[in-house]
Amino acid sequence: MKLSVPMPLRLVLLVLGTTAFYMYLGQIVPQKESHPPPPVLINAEMTTEDLVAVGAELASGKGQCLVGCHTVGQSGPLRYPDLDGIGGRAATQVDGLSELEYLAQSLYEPAAFIVPGFADGMQAINQPPINLSDDEIKAVIAWLQSLGGTPNVTLDTDLGY
Amino acid sequence: MTRNRILFGIGVLAFVSVIVTVRLGGFLVDNEYRQPDRQVAAQEELGEAELVPRQQGIADEQAADEAEARARPYEEAEYRTVPFVGSRVTVWVLAQLHLLFAAFVLAVPLFAFIIEFVGYVKKEERYNKLAYEFTKLLSVSFSMTATFGAFLTFALIILYPKFTNYLMHIFSPTFLPYVLLFFLEALFLYSYYYGWGKFGPKMHLFLGFMLNVVGTAIMFIANAWLTFMMSPGKRDDIDGDGVPDFVSAVSESGALLSLRDAFFNFTWMPINIHRIIANVAFGGSIAAAYAAFRYLQAKTDEERAHFDWMGYVGNFVAIIAFLPLPFAGYYLAAEIYAFSQTLGIQMMGGTFSWLFVLQAALIGNLFLGANYYLWLGMGRMEGGVHFQKFIKWLLIAIALCFAVWATPRYAISSVSEIAAMGGSSHPQLSYLGQMSAKNTAVNILILSTYMSFLLYRRTGRQSIHPHRQLLTRAQAIVFSSAAALVIFYGVYGYFVDSATRIRFAIPQVYSVLAALVVITVIDLPLYRNAAQSGETKWGRIPAVSQYALIFIALSFTWLMGLMGYVRSGLRQEWHVYGVILDTSPDAYTPSLGFATQVVSVTVLIFFGLIGVVFWLSSLSGKKDYAPGAAPEDGGRIEGGQAA
Repeated sequence: MKLSVPMPLRLVLLVLGTTAFYMYLGQIVPQKESHPPPPVLINAEMTTEDLVAVGAELASGKGQCLVGCHTVGQSGPLRYPDLDGIGGRAATQVDGLSELEYLAQSLYEPAAFIVPGFADGMQAINQPPINLSDDEIKAVIAWLQSLGGTPNVTLDTDLGY
Repeated sequence: MTRNRILFGIGVLAFVSVIVTVRLGGFLVDNEYRQPDRQVAAQEELGEAELVPRQQGIADEQAADEAEARARPYEEAEYRTVPFVGSRVTVWVLAQLHLLFAAFVLAVPLFAFIIEFVGYVKKEERYNKLAYEFTKLLSVSFSMTATFGAFLTFALIILYPKFTNYLMHIFSPTFLPYVLLFFLEALFLYSYYYGWGKFGPKMHLFLGFMLNVVGTAIMFIANAWLTFMMSPGKRDDIDGDGVPDFVSAVSESGALLSLRDAFFNFTWMPINIHRIIANVAFGGSIAAAYAAFRYLQAKTDEERAHFDWMGYVGNFVAIIAFLPLPFAGYYLAAEIYAFSQTLGIQMMGGTFSWLFVLQAALIGNLFLGANYYLWLGMGRMEGGVHFQKFIKWLLIAIALCFAVWATPRYAISSVSEIAAMGGSSHPQLSYLGQMSAKNTAVNILILSTYMSFLLYRRTGRQSIHPHRQLLTRAQAIVFSSAAALVIFYGVYGYFVDSATRIRFAIPQVYSVLAALVVITVIDLPLYRNAAQSGETKWGRIPAVSQYALIFIALSFTWLMGLMGYVRSGLRQEWHVYGVILDTSPDAYTPSLGFATQVVSVTVLIFFGLIGVVFWLSSLSGKKDYAPGAAPEDGGRIEGGQAA
């Protein structure tokens, strides 16, 4: 005996089935709620080593540096320059700029110098939406210096910005 | 019979509603607080002036509450909540429903006007009838749009009073023009619909044209409000170095600096373009779903032929609009990147990377559904078998492109997965997730779908053009060249730096667009007055094709819902990106799983409501009720004569 499903019921099943299928696809992919980054506490007693650790945390969190923009130790087609060894080569990137000046400029005025082969696009990280404080930026610089260089930034360092 | 069942169903529903209301009222009355009889007797003994201890306690409590309320200073609420569902989901669902109906109401007049115009030029009445059939769907949908618009406005004012007040501070000068345009839209819409056959064709076409102009203007104003939230400023070369700079429309504290810059903000025009095209694609698919619904209800071959044709036209409109949609999407995405790399990267490589896998599945299904419908449509004509050998190759090409497009570059992964892959991206598959591969896949998808359409167009027709062989070869060369260029740039993109690779999208897009235009330009004279090897038999198509049309409409609706989530979710914890922070408990981006649940519920509500629109629209074709007359379907009328 051939089972005949009435047309309205078929339509209802099609609508429910299709919607359920797409919703199911949405459930099987990895789930992540994106919360605002937690506040990072910086206090006056922090040493350069402490700042490196805080900077690393900021780079993959509030600073959004490692969230699809920069990489550390990757090659091939990249969106933005790989940061591996930046601490060592920062002093030779732009004539007339010291390591510290170069790193500070690339965070406060990223459009001032674009690494050849890459497009402009990075936003000043002391402004919204990233909006890092001056102390937080010093921590990020300490972390950048640690990638192939020797960190020497403290909270008392004057970045000139 | 069906009508009687529906009326019976409505009657039962009304009866049940009354019973439930009465029972609910009775329950509340029965459960209200009443003074115990003993207390009344005791109070009577004590006299009116003295209260029993419990009464005194209640009176004291009330007095304390009142004193507290009087002492409390007035504070403006920043947020309010909705129990169970939450404020965000409430506004989300209402906004999405408003947008879906608005998209439909804006799209249908656009192609109804074009179809009517074609009928006027060709002097063929069937086009006029078809345009009218589409327009019938508008009046109820227009009311739905307005209802959800009002509902959304109230929800925003109640649930997000401070933020809504801020938007009013920025955009209040645009409200009056918006209302006036809305009034004009109602005027043009109803005169266009009710004036069908009452005005001369030119006057009627003018009404249709004005309806489209006004509708588009309304959308442009509303788009300014929402795009401002994502990109509160414009792009201008203020320092004269030839590189456009960002000019904020508001100060750091959010005060308005320039209404012009707030209105004509960075993503305003890309959204306008994207929405116009997407609306037409969506509107076409919903109109095709209506035709499919009527086809499946049809009782005569004549009705089936009419609604088959209507479904074909609706789907044709949807697919023609759908083909350039990815280009509009890329333009929008490029503008989002240009405005803020953070937003762009968040969209494509961060939290939302898996969303684009889902989007790929939806778009892949849309392409598959559209091609499947075209292939089934070849059965309407004699000679369709000749082209069926190409279908499997097209299917393979579409499936491969689908797979490439669905491969993400970066993905949210567990620690063990990251360790196994050696990073957040897969060592081999991530190459397919890069822009080069994705651009190549989508361009080949578009070319393949266009090829399906060309095959469909040729089915049952034989060109009589004197240079038909030459022109057909020219088409094949153009097609192959475009495909070869797309693949060449796709592969070459892996060997150049990122700045150059991004620019490769332009020749890829232009080669496909040029191929579409050139092939169409050749095809028109090639098949003009072509010899028919068989008659087109409208209505001769398997019923499953109609379910395919409804599936396409469902997928479009779901896709719009998903894109609504990513467009709003991109802002993350910001009401206005970089200016006004969201400080409510909802200041986070929900997971994709949760978002798909909300989108699914919205789609189901929309299809429930659009079903009502379809049903109401189908009533206009029914015979008027006449007491004692036999109903159309040969059933019985209660108390009347048998059919």
